[in-house]
Amino acid sequence: MFAPLQSDPVLLPETIARLLFGSEIAIWQEAVAGFLAAFLIANIMLANAGVAGPWAKRKITAAFTDRIAVNRIGPAGLLIIPAAAVQLMAKELIIPDGVDRPAYDLAPILLALSALLGFAVIPMGSIFGINLQMADPETGLAFVFAVASIATLALTMGGYASNNKYSLMGGLRAIAQNIAYEIPLIVTAASVVIFTGTLQTSEIVAQQSEPLVTIAGLTIPSWFAFVNPFAFVLFMVANLAEVGRNPFDIPEAPTEIVAGYMTEYSSIYFVLFYMGEFIHIFLGGAIVATVFLGGPAGPVLPGFIWFIIKIWAVFLFTQWARSAVPRVRIDQLIEIGWKGMLVLSFANLVLTAVIVGVML
Amino acid sequence: MSSYEEQLDTAEGVDYDAIADLLGDRVVRRETHLNAEGFVVRPDQVAESLTLLREEAGFDHLSMVTAQDYEDRYETIYHLTKYADRTHEVSVVVPTDPENPVSESAASVYKTANWHEREAYDLVGVEYDGHPDLRRILLPETWQGHPLSSDYDQDKPQIVQFDEHKNPLEDDHRGADSDTMFLNIGPHHPATHGVLHLKTVLDGEQVADVDPDIGYLHRCEEQMCQQGTYRHQIMPYPDRWDYASAGLLNEWAYARVAEDLNDIEVPEYAQIIRTMSAEFCRIAAHLLAVGTFALDIYGDFTAIFMYAMRDREKVQNILEDLTGQRMMFNYFRLGGVVWDLPEPREEWFENIRDFLDDLPGTLEEYHDLITTNEIFQTRVIGTGVLDPEDAKQFGTTGPVARASGIDYDIRRDDPYGYYDELDWNVVTEEGGDNYARFLVRMQEVEESAKIISQCVDLLEDWPEDERNIQSNVPRTLKPDPDTEVYRAVEGAKGELGIYIRSDGTDKPGRFKIRSPCFCNLSALNAMSKGEYVPDLVATLGSLDVILGEVDR
Amino acid sequence: MIGVLKSMATTLKHAMDGSTFTVEYPDVAPEVSPRFRGVHKFSQERCIWCRQCENVCPNDTIQIVQDDQRNGEQYNLHIGQCVYCRLCEEVCPVDAILLTQNFEFTGDTKDDLVYNKEQLKNVPWYKDIDPLESREPDRGAWIGEGEGEVDYQ
Repeated sequence: MFAPLQSDPVLLPETIARLLFGSEIAIWQEAVAGFLAAFLIANIMLANAGVAGPWAKRKITAAFTDRIAVNRIGPAGLLIIPAAAVQLMAKELIIPDGVDRPAYDLAPILLALSALLGFAVIPMGSIFGINLQMADPETGLAFVFAVASIATLALTMGGYASNNKYSLMGGLRAIAQNIAYEIPLIVTAASVVIFTGTLQTSEIVAQQSEPLVTIAGLTIPSWFAFVNPFAFVLFMVANLAEVGRNPFDIPEAPTEIVAGYMTEYSSIYFVLFYMGEFIHIFLGGAIVATVFLGGPAGPVLPGFIWFIIKIWAVFLFTQWARSAVPRVRIDQLIEIGWKGMLVLSFANLVLTAVIVGVML
Repeated sequence: MSSYEEQLDTAEGVDYDAIADLLGDRVVRRETHLNAEGFVVRPDQVAESLTLLREEAGFDHLSMVTAQDYEDRYETIYHLTKYADRTHEVSVVVPTDPENPVSESAASVYKTANWHEREAYDLVGVEYDGHPDLRRILLPETWQGHPLSSDYDQDKPQIVQFDEHKNPLEDDHRGADSDTMFLNIGPHHPATHGVLHLKTVLDGEQVADVDPDIGYLHRCEEQMCQQGTYRHQIMPYPDRWDYASAGLLNEWAYARVAEDLNDIEVPEYAQIIRTMSAEFCRIAAHLLAVGTFALDIYGDFTAIFMYAMRDREKVQNILEDLTGQRMMFNYFRLGGVVWDLPEPREEWFENIRDFLDDLPGTLEEYHDLITTNEIFQTRVIGTGVLDPEDAKQFGTTGPVARASGIDYDIRRDDPYGYYDELDWNVVTEEGGDNYARFLVRMQEVEESAKIISQCVDLLEDWPEDERNIQSNVPRTLKPDPDTEVYRAVEGAKGELGIYIRSDGTDKPGRFKIRSPCFCNLSALNAMSKGEYVPDLVATLGSLDVILGEVDR
Repeated sequence: MIGVLKSMATTLKHAMDGSTFTVEYPDVAPEVSPRFRGVHKFSQERCIWCRQCENVCPNDTIQIVQDDQRNGEQYNLHIGQCVYCRLCEEVCPVDAILLTQNFEFTGDTKDDLVYNKEQLKNVPWYKDIDPLESREPDRGAWIGEGEGEVDYQ
């Protein structure tokens, strides 16, 4: 019933391969191109996280709290980013006695990796005619949720391996929280899948480009945020818990358990955790954008720019929530998750299924 | 109210003869302190006498326990008063033998005596028989000797053998087969508001037991005051007890006790200035308390913390114009204040009026941000509950007691300064939980603003030739030897009292501070047992302890 | 839920109005009140070496060395130890020691913060504020009056 509207279906590795090796592509050439594509996408997301961590987060927090924040180094303080990078990497890497070595080392890598992996199937739109999507498998959405939830494993590993009670509590809280919120998250996403009938991310995006209604000459596209606002709100809330931001930042909870699983990490490991968390927020934003906000769709500007704008909007929202919403307690969090969110998300799913079944 | 209590309450206050009858032959001797009559009882009859006074005579508030060392005896003084009427005071004096300083503990009668007697044991060396947990409280466990006793050798170095130190990294399998986990919260922890160490036993995430370990910030404030002259040298120090903006309230505690001791009158004009500036300090201190409490619940540098700091900054600017300093004021002097209002006065009054006009809007914003926030409410309502009976038992005062429904405020109950001439209310809440304590503080800011506004009106119309800021006070003050006085004021955190015994010189013989934070903190265990770690942190934040005042 | 939204609206209002409360110190030097108490300034020309400041100082911050003729030789002040109570200025009968508004000083070691009389003399005024102007009124309350013994040396 929907015509695929993707204007530029060629995926990024193929584009690169054609650029480098012509039209005949051997299997190893494909691998090299895939690697280069992954490198490019990872760097784009790392750059975003790099801007977000040392600079944007401070600026945003400062705006909410009537302060000035970074403005000494470079224009608008932007050079704080390389300065912070050098500073953090130059710090001594302290590995406490009695840590569980391979797990302790793997945790930060795994966290950053899991967040980056998710971007492999996200349709990021195109810029200069190049489509920036890495891969477009039929199980795209399932893949994203699967790799994103590896992050929980990383947090638990880090918390458990650190040989620190605060870290342990942070790790345990991370599991409890993620189990309680990932189910509503995925069930809510499933309600969208009922609409689309596919898990393929490019297809989900394509189906959102249809006009929904036209009011006074203004066409509102059929983004699922407009089609099913209830699911959108549910998803946003569950997403806050999934990325561990206020009011659900309890695995970190600096004023209670110091910094949870991050307590014993320093230097480059800390950077990996820190960056991993930001990339995770952006991945959350990317999922929200893909599933509910029409992916890279938008007027005038290239799709990729719209995509970046959307994930930053979600990032802004997490920071906004952080400025004004208190942290809930662990038992309340579990209660909200199991007794509230889960029920609501299933209700939403059933309702959607009924509506789709009756109407279409 | 028992029949005895009615009989004891006369129009002029306490009928001490009736108390003497009540205590009967337990009274060895009677002493007269400036604030109250002292009844000397035998060291093995302390608990009985105090029980009688509490049950029959209604003295339900053990304000402070002072221990001191005379040449021929150790002495413990229990300063008793009533939550219902602060002007009713009585002291129970317990002398003990210097060779074998054992005295019966009062911890079975008043829970607050637990910590007070530990401090007395730690610093002076009196041993309390029947005390549930007689350990050092301010000094480290390894400390040799009792510093405030006369046989203590100050020059002897405190050498602790290496093997006496416990290696903090050593494997510790104590309680390995139990289901609980021991957790050190602090001394370096984002939520302990200073160097406080909570030895916590957790059952999962729930608090099974919490034992505050204090003394990291012990700076010998009492002894420093004992080495300063009454006239000038003591006054800079109170600023440093409760250092979070409550300086003038602390200074007033010293000013009040020293003025009573030396019989100094304070001009009315100076009293108004004192009242106004002290209330500014209360606003600043409460704003900080609200901000850091929000910080504990929200995490990180939240907006509410920064807004509270910003508004506190405005108060500090006003105080800086008046006193010359933002936190360590040293503004009060015995017999008045050091400076008249800053010139040009109109401009300064204008600043204050601007602040007071903005305040309702600002508070409205706080209410929008926190009070009405449902998530905040689910976090704080019903957590950290302190019921009124416990609140009295632990000797809590100030916003903590008032949030448990105890209508107790020294500004009204034992008036000083200009408070009894002004129109304001004592704020109480019934819940006794974290939310109630927060609400009490917010409303007290409004009440303080009311007081300030009335003071400004009075000061503006004050005749120019009657602006007397200090009375004539001799350059050297030497109160009669062995005069004892205990007086308290309403500090930012509660009843801030000072006991002074003069020894005939121009310096106090014994200077003892009753810290409200110290007593409030002792209730933490009762308040947070069985709750979650986040509630423990929130409860600690809502108690609003300043470690400088706890440890002194 | 309404309360949560109200909270978020409040912070958003602050973010949108763009006003800031903090200033860019040291580019913007803060205003200090004329009564503010900072680093001391000492005038040997005025000083009569009565040692009252040394006596009144609560924590022995001021050290005065005199020769056997009671002429002043040294005037040392440990500004790292000072509690800025201003009692020395208050007690001085000739305004020889003053607390300026200057609060900006550093030292690499504690010893660097022990100022001798030359260093104390060279302490600059902060923004050309002369503290004496604002502090004149309290002088009468201090000197001469009172019924107790007056212990001038």
